[in-house]
Amino acid sequence: MPANPFIQVAIGCAIVSALILVWLFFRKPPLTNATKLWLLLAIGVLPLATATTGNIAGFEATKSRQFCGSCHVMTPYKTDSEDPKSTTLAARHSHNDLFGEENCYACHADYGMFGTIVTKMGGLRHVYEYTMHYRNMPLEEAREKIRIRRPFKNSTCMHCHSTEGPTWNAVKDHASILYAVRGGYVSCASEGCHGPAHPFTKKKVSKDAKAEADTVLETEKAVTP
Amino acid sequence: MNAALKERLKARLTKLLRTTLLLQIAGALTLVGLALMVWSMLQPTPLPVMLAMSVGQAIGTTAFALYLFVVIREIRREWRGKPKKDPGA
Repeated sequence: MPANPFIQVAIGCAIVSALILVWLFFRKPPLTNATKLWLLLAIGVLPLATATTGNIAGFEATKSRQFCGSCHVMTPYKTDSEDPKSTTLAARHSHNDLFGEENCYACHADYGMFGTIVTKMGGLRHVYEYTMHYRNMPLEEAREKIRIRRPFKNSTCMHCHSTEGPTWNAVKDHASILYAVRGGYVSCASEGCHGPAHPFTKKKVSKDAKAEADTVLETEKAVTP
Repeated sequence: MNAALKERLKARLTKLLRTTLLLQIAGALTLVGLALMVWSMLQPTPLPVMLAMSVGQAIGTTAFALYLFVVIREIRREWRGKPKKDPGA
């Protein structure tokens, strides 16, 4: 049984509801007020409780690294995050208890007013892309092709690293590019600063270069026996 | 549409809208919705979670709507069947 209390409540309500329904199905009592109340409990109240607590548990589950890594193309990223010896930016954050099991979500979530909704919408696009394009893609190919959709925002880093603290500003490199960092002109996760975040992070490429790379890949695949 | 066909359709619809049958359908739909939700909690991967949050909830809502339809219809029938109070009394 999962330890999450929301899941326990949801499963408990679902079991009670199912038991009442099965009992009513076999007993077939007349439709009296008491039967209507039992049905209200089994079809209305308890499933509603299951749905509410289940939704909370579901949204929490979508934040976990396990969930992000359940698509095979994310396996290398998940493995790197879990590796205690890895020194990549993502792994170092996942070793921090504040990020822990939710390190993918903590860094890739949008923290704006509608951040959660925007992030979930992005997640739905991930599911669509995976189902339509990457589901059967070999890991080696996926590692080359899959890249972040938009440049990683500094505001995500600045949610924790505010750039206001004296310790942060004591670093000369930080102080010299303070406004560029705050304005998002220099990425925290860029090479030479703290990046790349993952061992497989790829530089942003133009559409022409991407098309060219795709053509080369297709040619290689065609030539390979 | 001729009268015989209308009668047949009406009879079929009446049979379909029987209280017992509608409640059985509502119960079965509830069980399916609950099963999807429980599956998503025991195996929280993208497919079960998305199915539970979309299809599962739609099924559950349909079941509850069916229940409400039946109960409200029953209550209305009961009210219609009651003798009217004498306004002068």
